[in-house]
Amino acid sequence: MRSNGKSVTKTVSSYCYQCVAGPDLMKIDIQDGVPVQVRPNGAAAAVHPAHGKVCVKAFGLIQKTNNPHRVQTPMIRTNPKKGRGEDPGFRPATWDEALELICGKLNEAQAKGKMDESGFPRIAASFGGGGTPTVYMGTFPAFLKAWGAVDMSFGSGQGVKCYHSEHLYGELWHRAFTVSPDTPLVEMIISLGANVEASGGVCGVRRHADARDRGVKRVQVEPHLSITGACSAEWVPIRPKTDPAFMFALVHVLLHEAGRERLDLPFLKAMTSSPYLVAPNGFFLRDPDTQKPLIWDLNSGRAVPFDTEGTDPALEGDFTVSGLEVGPDDVEWRHDGAVCQPSFAHLVAHVKEYSPEWAADICDVKAQVIRKTALDFLDHAHVGETMVVDGREMPFRPVAISLGKTVCNGWGGFECVWARTVMAVLIGGLEVPGGTLGTTVRLNRPADNRWSSVVPGPDGFMNYPMNPTKKGDWKETPTSRHSHQTLIPLAANSPWSQALGPTHLAWMAQKKGFEHLPKPTQPDVWFVYRTNPVISFWETGAVEEAIANFPFTVCFAYTHDETNHMADVLLPECTDLEGLQLIRIGGSKYVEQFWDHQGFALRDPAAEPMGEARDFTWIATQLAKGTGLLAEYNTAINKGAAGIRLFGEKYDFSLEPETEHSVEEIWDASCRAGSAELTDGAESQGLDYFREHGFRTAPFSRERWYLYPAMIEQGLRFELPYQERLLRIGQELGARLHEKGITWWDRQLGEYEALPHYQDLPGLWEHAQEEAYDVKIADYPFWLLTARSMQYSWGGNAGIQMIHEVASNVAGHGGMLMNPAAARKLGLAEGDRVEIASPTGTTKGAVILRQGIRPDTVLMIGQFDHWKTPFAKDLKTPSMNALTPMSLELTDATGSGADLVRVSVRKLEAGA
Amino acid sequence: MTRYAIVADLNRCVGCQTCTAACKHANATAPGVQWRKVLDFETGEFPDVSRAFVPVGCMHCDEPSCMEVCPSTATGKRDDGIVTIDYDICIGCAYCAVACPYQARYRVDEPSAAYGGGKKMRHETAREDPARLGVAQKCTLCFDVIDDGLEKGLVPGKDMAATPVCVASCIAGALHMGDLDDPDSNVSQLLNEKRHFRMHEELGNGPNIVYLYDGQIEDTSVQDKAPMVADPVGLAAVSPKPQTSWDWRAAANFMAGGAGTGLFMMTMLASLFAPVIWGAVFAALVLVGGGLFCVLLEIGRRWRSMNVFRNARTSWMTREAMMAAPYFAFGGLAWLTGWTALGWLAAIFALAFLYCQARILRAAKGIPAWRQPQIVPLILATGFAEGAGLLASAVGIALLAGWTQTTLGMALGGTLAVLVAVRFGAWKQYRRALGVTGAPVQTFEVLDGPRSGLALAGQAAIAVLAIYGALGLPLAGLALALAGLAAAGTGWLFKYTLITGAAYNQGFAVERMPARGAGESAPGIKPGWKTA
Repeated sequence: MRSNGKSVTKTVSSYCYQCVAGPDLMKIDIQDGVPVQVRPNGAAAAVHPAHGKVCVKAFGLIQKTNNPHRVQTPMIRTNPKKGRGEDPGFRPATWDEALELICGKLNEAQAKGKMDESGFPRIAASFGGGGTPTVYMGTFPAFLKAWGAVDMSFGSGQGVKCYHSEHLYGELWHRAFTVSPDTPLVEMIISLGANVEASGGVCGVRRHADARDRGVKRVQVEPHLSITGACSAEWVPIRPKTDPAFMFALVHVLLHEAGRERLDLPFLKAMTSSPYLVAPNGFFLRDPDTQKPLIWDLNSGRAVPFDTEGTDPALEGDFTVSGLEVGPDDVEWRHDGAVCQPSFAHLVAHVKEYSPEWAADICDVKAQVIRKTALDFLDHAHVGETMVVDGREMPFRPVAISLGKTVCNGWGGFECVWARTVMAVLIGGLEVPGGTLGTTVRLNRPADNRWSSVVPGPDGFMNYPMNPTKKGDWKETPTSRHSHQTLIPLAANSPWSQALGPTHLAWMAQKKGFEHLPKPTQPDVWFVYRTNPVISFWETGAVEEAIANFPFTVCFAYTHDETNHMADVLLPECTDLEGLQLIRIGGSKYVEQFWDHQGFALRDPAAEPMGEARDFTWIATQLAKGTGLLAEYNTAINKGAAGIRLFGEKYDFSLEPETEHSVEEIWDASCRAGSAELTDGAESQGLDYFREHGFRTAPFSRERWYLYPAMIEQGLRFELPYQERLLRIGQELGARLHEKGITWWDRQLGEYEALPHYQDLPGLWEHAQEEAYDVKIADYPFWLLTARSMQYSWGGNAGIQMIHEVASNVAGHGGMLMNPAAARKLGLAEGDRVEIASPTGTTKGAVILRQGIRPDTVLMIGQFDHWKTPFAKDLKTPSMNALTPMSLELTDATGSGADLVRVSVRKLEAGA
Repeated sequence: MTRYAIVADLNRCVGCQTCTAACKHANATAPGVQWRKVLDFETGEFPDVSRAFVPVGCMHCDEPSCMEVCPSTATGKRDDGIVTIDYDICIGCAYCAVACPYQARYRVDEPSAAYGGGKKMRHETAREDPARLGVAQKCTLCFDVIDDGLEKGLVPGKDMAATPVCVASCIAGALHMGDLDDPDSNVSQLLNEKRHFRMHEELGNGPNIVYLYDGQIEDTSVQDKAPMVADPVGLAAVSPKPQTSWDWRAAANFMAGGAGTGLFMMTMLASLFAPVIWGAVFAALVLVGGGLFCVLLEIGRRWRSMNVFRNARTSWMTREAMMAAPYFAFGGLAWLTGWTALGWLAAIFALAFLYCQARILRAAKGIPAWRQPQIVPLILATGFAEGAGLLASAVGIALLAGWTQTTLGMALGGTLAVLVAVRFGAWKQYRRALGVTGAPVQTFEVLDGPRSGLALAGQAAIAVLAIYGALGLPLAGLALALAGLAAAGTGWLFKYTLITGAAYNQGFAVERMPARGAGESAPGIKPGWKTA
């Protein structure tokens, strides 16, 4: 026996960032110019939280690179008719021809003015996978920056496929675009639908495995027994979309069944708005002179501004006080001798009715299970204990709550994220060791530093860049096709905001515009990269129709797929292993990616580009040149638009703006700037250094995993539990919209509550489905859910045979998972082909039986139903995306929907 | 000494298949071939359900049943415990595949491409290894990585560059590899700390993948054996499946080999009462030869089939081949020369050949229907009954034609009746024993159905016909011919069914479902099995 590892002739360093839980570092072995093997990067073991490992998806990159189905030359459409049934008639073209065509369109758009008659950007772009395309598109962001206004509102799945409410409310409350337990220290996790073992990446998997070894208690609350449920100490099969009731009951137990002394009262008093007195109209009672919120000081027996030194704030009780109340649009009420209670007391009263017994029927979970879960949380919270991290003493609270997709999306997301964060502050476990942490910021600035994003705002809280709602400031005329600034104050307006906005509104408007908003238009040019919204969005039939109507679509194409079937030009770019790029690694970012180091990693090409594929940076440079934007483009690169600013106080590796630079020149300058940044200008090694070493890091203090020190330093409080600011902006937004005549967003305005109340969410979904489609919900007896798959999620790899092969080892892939008792009632057996239908569409697949799913629920893992993508189109794998309606009624105030729909299941004849 | 083992911590494993993919890369295995993979188990009933992920592959057993059966000595075991395959020696008979109770072995006969249609990708072309076609293949424990690492002074299991890729790539830190003979090694320490089991421990192979399932080694309470669950929901992937290594060609060897050797022996026995029927001798030689030719059709590397003679020490397949040679030599000479003594000599080797066939099945540990000890008398009895049946049918036809005396027919009829009864008794013994040890549900379904060929009614009818023939009554020849053909036919049907239809493999089982974090361990499962 011998290994068939013929001699490896070269090994290069690279990274895998196919999912939002990356990047991870790897080595690629090359044999006679052909990449043949992916390996973990052992050299990174000392700096990477998962010891330099990469997950199964990375191993698919060999097939991805060498895939015979790749588009290998630029292609131009010859059939002007677009649609699923139309043959695009793509013909091969030269790069010169393709670029000339694209630049021609761009220059036409530029000549007409970058905004169209409706005020929307003429150029639009859509990227997939939670921002991960950025680390594969080289300097293309610099080209977009040089161009100016670009509409990113045509989503590829975000709003439903992401953790939407967590992104927005998480950033508001603790700079937590993504939230994570402090997994290296945590003792107990309540996980509602979070599937970290499938979607937490290599670091998540490793850290949670370590936690299990330590004996962590994780309770997985989810309708099916996911991978994460399998890896948890307990599984609680909750009824779909009733998570807010479960969460409210947890809060109830802490406030009404546990002794007050078990809560972290000092934290509540000093670090939250709990003591702030609430005036009769629901807004804080304020000091008339300073407008600061008042608290009741038990020491002096009077109301004083919240930041008065030496106070002992009351958390409960009725206090007769005088002061000023400021409502929406600066309306003021003066109160003399009004009886007010602290915010905390309002919270206590608010959750009184939400007992475990109340939640039990709603959630189909026994009351004692809910109660025990809450009390276990408390038992593990270590209230009163501290620990020292890098020399700083902080509270130690090793309990956390994780929320998954669909729990965080659509109606109910606000309630769950709020209750989760309230649970954390009740035991003083927000942003402290062991507790609930944010890991990245995307809406606040700067995006690469959570501490720096902690800026004082009103009332002792952090600032938040809300889209304005006050008269005169409100963005009455939207500048994006989904109106994120007009409708969603919390979406802010960072470079990420458009992608977060209510992206389905952009698609919905293509079918029928929204009253009193500008006439929906199509972009003159639409760029698409690493996304396939015809498969990955929801109500995909409608998306497909909209895309077919776009006048000029440019797809950076890997293989033919369902979206680029409608494209006018296909451009083959170097894939993951063929392109050159330097990215930031480490620090604290995204899912479970908080490191003890930070720095940069190189994606060093492992192969010559296949066919005529070109490096994305070269393409971006040519587009800049062809549109006369070379100087702006180079300047954008210099300023960091491609990931690394090329100059600092002690160094300057800026590119000459007027010159066309080669791909290697650009990234050499980036490498030099990266070296200088990490060494405070002392060193400046370039591309050669990174080619030799693969990555370079400097220590990142663990103290910076936690926001607590930054909050303490600036004397700030977490804006919890009472949402006075949201209450105000909600009323202001309502006034603005009504002034404009917009009433179709009224349901969403109801979400702006100071303390969220429970809504019957399953009923809401059922009602919406019945009303919109004139159907009887009884004809659709199952809840259809989806779940992430580590093998597929974000990878765009449904066409990779190896991935399909190994994913098939994991139950649930390739069909529709259902409970055997439910199947028996329908006369279904394992492997039977069925048609699953909702009013918006159908999908077909094989029945997969498992006991680990509720009888009222069926599940389809991943996103399939391909009809064009090679290999994937032959898989006969069902997907829920065609079945989930884009519905205004099912859109929450943050602009998200949820992967949830009622469906029917019908047996098909054999062979169907 | 060194004894490398893998310890898989089921509390840590998340079933991500990174090890599966890494192994496929490192070893450039063909599409569908997974030397390492992770199984997905589920136990219990909603809502009390457990789910566990269980890495499997070659267990590099202490007593590898694959190595014992290998006729060519291609399968070996290194001093460090790694079970190896020499691709240059292996004849591709796949005996090892049916002898492995862990379904760890594969045989790929043709070059294949992930995207089919002959469109091999660049890396597939670059890494294809023709030596691996048509031979057995399985996990190598990346011995080349280990050896390279050792040469560099690295420690396998500790240093990534000296560690099998499945372990080195494991993102959960669930897979560990090291030396069990070193009490201070990582794996020894883990086994000292945590409760563990080995899969199919009762088969005695001494597998060297050990599964950790709980963190409390001090709790030494005896756990129940994994319960057999006949009809598990959603566990088709881990339940026993029909073996695909041996098809009709292998079955033909057992059918023709048994019948041929039986016929030879019965012919010689009949010569005690009448002249030797040399036509039957010739037929017996042809039958055995035909069966072996079918085997030749089945093996992956026909031109090196003579390597079958390399392992007389342990392989019953080698021994079968070794018995075949003198059988043909003496039998052929006897037929050519008409020397009865040579015929008797050949008959002894025929018996030995038949015994070897029975032991071949007995040693195939991967197939519960074959490895039963009672398979040996059953196969022997079947061979005799088939041989007697063929001879009786020939004599019966001769009787009808008036070519021979009645007394031979009467003696053969009586003998056939006795042999059919003995065979039926052996079958019932075998079936009873299988019911006690348990077997895959489908094995029982097939054996208890009409395809077994050995049901009471049919066998009784054959015996009655044979006795009628033995009585020398009118049409005794017809009765004898019919009884003989039916005895042979039902024997063939049984063996064809045994080798193909009833031959479900062992499947997989877990003794215990793992405790996850602060959770508790739950009973395991042996899916797709039952007793009785």
